[in-house]
Amino acid sequence: MSAAAVAGLSACSGDAPAGGSSASKEVVLGILQEPKSWNPAIAHVGHLLQPYQFVYDSLLLRKSDGTLAPMLATSWKYTDDAQTVLELTLRTDVTFSDGAAFDATAAKANLDHFKVANGPQAAMLQNFESATAVDAKTLRIKLKIADPAFEYYLSQAAGLMGSPAAITGKDIDLMPVGSGPYIMVKDQSVKGSQYVFTPRKGYWNPSLQKFTMVTLKLLADLTARVNAVTTGQVDATLLDATTAQQANAAGLKELSWPVDWQGLLLFDRDGKVAPPLKDVRVRQAINYALNRDALLKNVAMGAGTVTSQVFGPESGSFLPELESRYAYDPAKAKQLLSDAGYASGFDLTLPLPPGIETLLNYVKQQLGDVGIRVNLVAVPIADYQSTLGKGTYAAAWFSLFQGPTWVACNQLIVPSTLYNPFKSTTPELKALLDATQAAGAQVGEKGKAVNTYVTENAWFAPFYRVNQIYFYDSKKLKVTPQVQMAVPTPYDYEPAS
Amino acid sequence: MLQFIAKRLVAGVVALFVVACLTFVLLYSTSGDVARNIMGDQASAASVAAKAHELGLDQPLMSRLSSWLWQATHLQFGTSWFTSQPVFTAIANRLPLTLTMVCVAILLIGVVATFLGVTAAVKRGAADRAVQIMAVLAASLPGYIVGIVLVLVFAIQLRWFPAISRIGPRSGAAVWVASLTLPVVALMLNGIAGAAQQIRSAFIKQLEQDYVRTLRSRGIPEREILFRHVLRAAAPAGLTVLSLQFISLLGGVVIIESIFALPGLGSLAVSATTQGDLPLVMGVVIYTVAIVVVVNLLVDVANGWLNPKVRVS
Repeated sequence: MSAAAVAGLSACSGDAPAGGSSASKEVVLGILQEPKSWNPAIAHVGHLLQPYQFVYDSLLLRKSDGTLAPMLATSWKYTDDAQTVLELTLRTDVTFSDGAAFDATAAKANLDHFKVANGPQAAMLQNFESATAVDAKTLRIKLKIADPAFEYYLSQAAGLMGSPAAITGKDIDLMPVGSGPYIMVKDQSVKGSQYVFTPRKGYWNPSLQKFTMVTLKLLADLTARVNAVTTGQVDATLLDATTAQQANAAGLKELSWPVDWQGLLLFDRDGKVAPPLKDVRVRQAINYALNRDALLKNVAMGAGTVTSQVFGPESGSFLPELESRYAYDPAKAKQLLSDAGYASGFDLTLPLPPGIETLLNYVKQQLGDVGIRVNLVAVPIADYQSTLGKGTYAAAWFSLFQGPTWVACNQLIVPSTLYNPFKSTTPELKALLDATQAAGAQVGEKGKAVNTYVTENAWFAPFYRVNQIYFYDSKKLKVTPQVQMAVPTPYDYEPAS
Repeated sequence: MLQFIAKRLVAGVVALFVVACLTFVLLYSTSGDVARNIMGDQASAASVAAKAHELGLDQPLMSRLSSWLWQATHLQFGTSWFTSQPVFTAIANRLPLTLTMVCVAILLIGVVATFLGVTAAVKRGAADRAVQIMAVLAASLPGYIVGIVLVLVFAIQLRWFPAISRIGPRSGAAVWVASLTLPVVALMLNGIAGAAQQIRSAFIKQLEQDYVRTLRSRGIPEREILFRHVLRAAAPAGLTVLSLQFISLLGGVVIIESIFALPGLGSLAVSATTQGDLPLVMGVVIYTVAIVVVVNLLVDVANGWLNPKVRVS
């Protein structure tokens, strides 16, 4: 697959004044989580990517519609048929906030650092073999094996570029040193409270410096967030369906877009912990027993879309006909259980994280109606994720991001993922995954077969795609949601006037 | 008096040591897979294992405890696993705000509760009943409910105060006062109710003592009897209840800080505990226990000064 050089972001003189002519506004954003460290190799996704993007440019830019555009790389393409050598042409007018120049050597240093820094997204470079600075503006990346998500990763945490001298030092944990549009004001930024950014002088693209000051206010508590945004103490923040009414009444603008899907992951497809789950009819019965509309209406207050597939509409492998593949049909569920030899039902234990009691008790009741006796076992939130990966439970509820095709495959389906604790696979599925991985630009099309396989074989029992509900003061801001992202990127905000 | 203080100090250090050891063992033996939480769901098993090794989670519990104790004796509490910030710095940044809030609240509780308690004890009748009813009502209102109501009325509707904290590194006194008024009121109400009741009871008990009758028979003015003799005799009970209130406020501040987005020790404790940030949790526990020990010591000293019998006992 090759990516054409897209008509890019305007390149401007490095001598331009900080902020450019469009930078004349201040903005305060309420955020849910703060960075663990400002080391770009420790960046994450969603909530824990946005803060980094104020101070670090990425090699590629992901636009709000999910397409990739030039940023520090002006063009990029695979140079071999196997899609394992990616060559990027880099900008030559970029500097880091410590004055160091950005070039291919700096980009290589960042990729090498990301690979060994053991950050939470280190798996993005699992197929990265090496990088070579061909010359100052040409970077050649060698992959061990084709990775259809690699360009996407270069627009995410793996593509963030920090000053090579800084990223291996200790100070980087507390003070970012990037080439991004803003710099952090250290004496106004307090961990656990707020981070303040101002435009960086000499930035190569002042059109991205839309504000004279950006403040990220850490508001982990939902009540605090809705109070803050309705009183104007923050200009934009993420809320939920329960607080949307208050924000709407205050005249705030609402954005709503699906990011996560919620449902049951039916891990034990080989019946190691719960033998009934080995039978596909039992897994399908679980799907038919779920009244998704009732769950969406009563638990998520209607803020979402019911679905039977785990690939999202923007993934590239979405299939409209799978949306209602398992429409609520308890009679069919009972019949399938009977056909599988479980006419009198069976016991199923699900872990119960805090805050999900209502949803899982609805599920318990619905599955109980067809004879599946659910036992809910409370698990502390700090242990929940690791518990899922241990193979203790045959199935579990979770809320998971719906990424592009190969990202979704890596997250949910391949044997090595945390969410496949029993390493389930079949020769047929493996062939479909291999074909998807090697499909290059056709990854989405090939992924549809994977989507069909896991849906028909009921690897999961999705309930719905839940909406992100984001509010902002439209008198001050314009905000565009970024598909598949929990919050908009810094490039998706602009002053209202 | 010095011997009295020394005894209390030694008891405080022992309490600190015991609490530290118990907390460490409980936290580290039930902490689950913190390395996985730090690394996230995309990390490979090898990455998670490397992180666990880096954090020393693969070391025996007693080895980790002795290492932590040794560092703690040098006031080194390590670095937060989730924010990369030294534990000492994280706490030092947040302690002033929480202490300011709790100290202001306890001072106001002391003044208001003394006024209400003494009024009820001396006036009795309707005033006493009014104070008692008010105390029962206030005691039945949880601080977080009061906090939410205060925000709705005074921040969202009337816009007299900010809904969330505006306190920043360079904030002046006006910002502190504006940001802390509602949280302090939310913290106080419950405390006033309890303290007023206790002070009222202690005052009534003293008023029934023989020495009060004797003082009155000698013609000493009632005001002098009440404020010079009775109040002093009733003060130890009041001080004790205020010290208990102080400790209770340190716990209650957790939710109030979340509602008002105050970057204090309470919200730090919540986030550290939720994430499993064990060095930070240990730091918060040690500092909180140290504060409690100091407050109790101060109360003991004050009680000893007010009532020499306490020192002897």
